[in-house]
Amino acid sequence: MSEVIIEVKDLMFTYGKSQVKAVDGLSFKVKKGEIFGLLGPSGAGKSTTQKILTRLLKGYGGTITYLGKDLSAYDNTFYEDIGVGFELPVHFSKLTGEENMAFFSRLYRKQVDVAPLLKRVGLYEDKDKMVGSYSKGMKMRLNFVRALLNDPKVLFLDEVTNGLDPKNARIIKDMIRAFKEQGGTVILTTHLMNDVEELCDNIAFISGGRIKEIATPRELKIKYGKRILDVEYALNGKTKQNTFDLDGLSNNDTFMSILKNHDIETMHSGETSLDDIFIKVTGESIHE
Amino acid sequence: MNNFGTLLKGEFQRLSKYKIMQAGIGVSLLWVATLFLIGPDDAGMFLPLFVFMDVSLMTVLLIGSGLFYERQENTLKTLLITPTKFSHIIYSKLITAVIIALQSALILGLLGYFFFDVGIQFHYLIAFTVLISFMHAMLGFVFAVLLKDFPSLLASIMLYMIVFAFPSIFYALDILSTTWSYILIISPTHASMLLVELAFGEPVNGWMIVVSIVYLIVITLVFAKWIVFPNYFKKAIED
Ligand SMILES: Nc1ncnc2c1ncn2[C@@H]1O[C@H](COP(=O)(O)OP(=O)(O)O)[C@@H](O)[C@H]1O
Ligand SMILES: [Mg+2]
Repeated sequence: MSEVIIEVKDLMFTYGKSQVKAVDGLSFKVKKGEIFGLLGPSGAGKSTTQKILTRLLKGYGGTITYLGKDLSAYDNTFYEDIGVGFELPVHFSKLTGEENMAFFSRLYRKQVDVAPLLKRVGLYEDKDKMVGSYSKGMKMRLNFVRALLNDPKVLFLDEVTNGLDPKNARIIKDMIRAFKEQGGTVILTTHLMNDVEELCDNIAFISGGRIKEIATPRELKIKYGKRILDVEYALNGKTKQNTFDLDGLSNNDTFMSILKNHDIETMHSGETSLDDIFIKVTGESIHE
Repeated sequence: MNNFGTLLKGEFQRLSKYKIMQAGIGVSLLWVATLFLIGPDDAGMFLPLFVFMDVSLMTVLLIGSGLFYERQENTLKTLLITPTKFSHIIYSKLITAVIIALQSALILGLLGYFFFDVGIQFHYLIAFTVLISFMHAMLGFVFAVLLKDFPSLLASIMLYMIVFAFPSIFYALDILSTTWSYILIISPTHASMLLVELAFGEPVNGWMIVVSIVYLIVITLVFAKWIVFPNYFKKAIED
């Protein structure tokens, strides 16, 4: 049993004048060393949840415990422990990337060497340029570096790959995985299936402020995937296709004879994409 | 360095990078040039007025515009997820505004003292500049909490000038009679104006001084307790 870092029970939140609950009864646990994904379409309540977990929004219903203690019992030293990546750029536009990092760094007791991080995300060359001149993707990469400045134990990342090209998204994802491998815990909120599929140990499907399902990507695929096997094989110089039920496959004579007597061209289990599973579970598409 | 020092240093770094410091010095120089144009005979009369404008209106503008810019850049959110105390974030800005106000008040004060032979009581000038700029910096926060964008900030400062500052300016230029002084005291700018005049050696009724000081302190506290501290961060986060 690994240690529970964050436990959320019946979390509710309504914005000031709003009539609808932005978050409506969320419950989940995040364990040490895992990457926990909150996946849902725009407006599902992901950023709101992150803001509550990082103590920015107060006045929520339900309980949140961090390392076994109520979140509200912590003082501001809580922030020495965590790193937060926002979904929007959050920097002084007329300061350079390096000046921004230096300023925020000094607010923490523990500080990391910023240069290697900037090099890793490909911003080192641009560190002396004003952030105002950065592209959206560069600003998001700087956001990510900013989240790591205090060598945090827990990372909260909101749409961390948003606006990044595939190459840079790859770098960030590798860094997240490396963070986990060094014992870090990550709460990732995103509307991008790719991110959770590649990174997350557990996924919560969230829609309309509610969690519809929590499971590992594998469990989801097993539970919602079609239990079938598509086989394509060569027969008299032509491709033939056959579909089998996964259950009782070892006793299926047709299948066995195809394996024995023909050249198999392709074989696919009836895996459903997480996209499809999301629609199945929430009744809603993740893309607008 | 502790966090408060870091915040304060950051404020000054940004004042300079965002060219706000330069604009402030530019305004002071403009006052100086105007004083030389006016000539030594009348400079003594205008000097308190310029100091008053710099310490009050310029401070609201400095704080207010800085806060709107910051809101646009979303930077307050990043500060709020650091171990920094919320109150320190506000105080660092207030103190920065006070220091800038002191800088211009002293530039103008020394100028008056050495070039125009104005009898300035510097201890008053310093003390009242702190009080007046602190109150107006708080007013800048009030505007940032209540208003939604930069144009409405400018409009509000204009309105504040017309309603509160102009009558005091007319009074200072002896366009309005002394009786007005008792009526105008309900305006924070007038209280500020009286204190600046006192620092410049003009006769001010003793009770009016006390009332002005208390009044400025009370407004500042009311703004802080009921408007700025309860709402400022909430607003920044929900944006
Ligand atoms: N500052 C705010 N004031 C009022 N409603 C808000 C505010 N921010 C978000 N909401 C609403 O709360 C819901 C959840 O938003 P959000 O948490 O940003 O979703 P997500 O991050 O999943 O896209 C949405 O309906 C959104 O319109
Ligand atoms: Mg969001």
